[in-house]
Amino acid sequence: MTEASCRRVAVTGVGLVNPFGGDTQDFFARLMRGESAVNLYHHPASPSPLAQPAVSCPYFDAEVVLGRPLAAVTDRYSQLGVAAAFTAWDDAGLPRQGGGSDEFGVSWGTGVGGTLTFEKGYTDFYVHNKDRAHPLSVVLAMNNAAASHVAISLGLGSACLSYSVACASSAVAIGEAMRRIQAGESQLVVAGGSEAPLSFSVMRAWESMRVVAQGNAETAYRACRPFQAGRTGLVLGEGGAALILEDWDHAVARGARIYCELAGYGQSCDHTHLVKPDAYGQTRAMKLALREAGLDPAEVGYVNAHGTATREGDPTEIEALRQIFGAHAASLLVSATKSMHGHLLGATGAMEALITVLALARGEVPPTAHLEEVAADCQGVHHVMGTGLHDVPLRAALSNSFAFGGSNAVLAFKAVA
Amino acid sequence: MDTLELLREFIKRRVTNPPEEVNPESRLEDIGVDSLTLLDLMFDMEDKFGVRMPDDLPRPETVAELIEIFEKLKPASND
Repeated sequence: MTEASCRRVAVTGVGLVNPFGGDTQDFFARLMRGESAVNLYHHPASPSPLAQPAVSCPYFDAEVVLGRPLAAVTDRYSQLGVAAAFTAWDDAGLPRQGGGSDEFGVSWGTGVGGTLTFEKGYTDFYVHNKDRAHPLSVVLAMNNAAASHVAISLGLGSACLSYSVACASSAVAIGEAMRRIQAGESQLVVAGGSEAPLSFSVMRAWESMRVVAQGNAETAYRACRPFQAGRTGLVLGEGGAALILEDWDHAVARGARIYCELAGYGQSCDHTHLVKPDAYGQTRAMKLALREAGLDPAEVGYVNAHGTATREGDPTEIEALRQIFGAHAASLLVSATKSMHGHLLGATGAMEALITVLALARGEVPPTAHLEEVAADCQGVHHVMGTGLHDVPLRAALSNSFAFGGSNAVLAFKAVA
Repeated sequence: MDTLELLREFIKRRVTNPPEEVNPESRLEDIGVDSLTLLDLMFDMEDKFGVRMPDDLPRPETVAELIEIFEKLKPASND
């Protein structure tokens, strides 16, 4: 594919399910104030008591957002996804009826897909001794369900794909959607991710890895402390987020509001260890994203870090940033917003891409919440602490996603000139 | 609640743009009960009536056919 045949990609809509309960603007404003959506989550139906700092969406009412018929045939992960997609679609100024096209597609990310449906099914079999499954089990649980429901609901006939790359799933979904638009295969793609991982088994499984932060009812809100000296790990979250990616000319022709340009997508695989991240792999992905976007590192004003607050992950990412940005690293604004919205696993890439888009478009940079003392091994960049920064002129920003398994995905966004 | 009432209630709950009238003559496809929805409906009714619909029964096409299947399967004391 030559440069001449590469089409530019605009971000024309953003949408998410806000764990605080309001709309997208409300979500971003709260992040800017350093507000945390993390609470002590009590699992409602666990065989033994389970309470873990986590982010849930208690205000999300699937029947209200999707209507009863669609809510009845969808796992929560699909419900969160369709809700986010609808919000992004509306934000892009597209009509729900008659707005679809065979030139428009879906590109979706999820890590654990219909895990809640699986868990309910296993409980029915092994605990309640039922000998038959609900007839909709397959279509509720399948990992492409969310994407398919988005396509059906909005009438989208171009490729409808789902990506499963652990913590990088929806960053990859966004990047791959970019590739399809660049190649002229789709004119518009609803690109995002959704995750409803708060099943008993998934929560216990993460707990067993000893990377989940601890907290009680009073301290849970600040359990996830990326880059902090003495940080104790990540917190899980459920949610959904989506971008509307559109061929630039198509967006201009219909008078769409363009937030920014998705200009670069870099991928790599560490190929060193299943969970221990590798700075070299991360630098390769960032270099590729910057190169494609035609950006000198010094032109990047903000990086939304992967920053899960694990002991090993945070310093590796900072080391990678120091290598890429060199002398510019000290003035590079960095924040890890998982401190406030949690780790949505497969949906995290999309959530953070959305935050990065809004940061770039508004010139506002959210903080890393609960960061008071930067750990010695995480120094060397300009950590945004406390509350967010306003009136920050930004030309470009990166969003990093570094997954278990070693897959790295970096998205480079450029401000509208 | 008899079978027809249960069916009407299920359709109101599960079908987008439910039809005005659900009568024994109505074709299931026409009232929004496609193959997937039919499976869900049968599962619901099996639970409510405590019966199991055998796999080898022909798929009902009308409301009347569906009602007939469940009326035959229901234990006599439930009538």
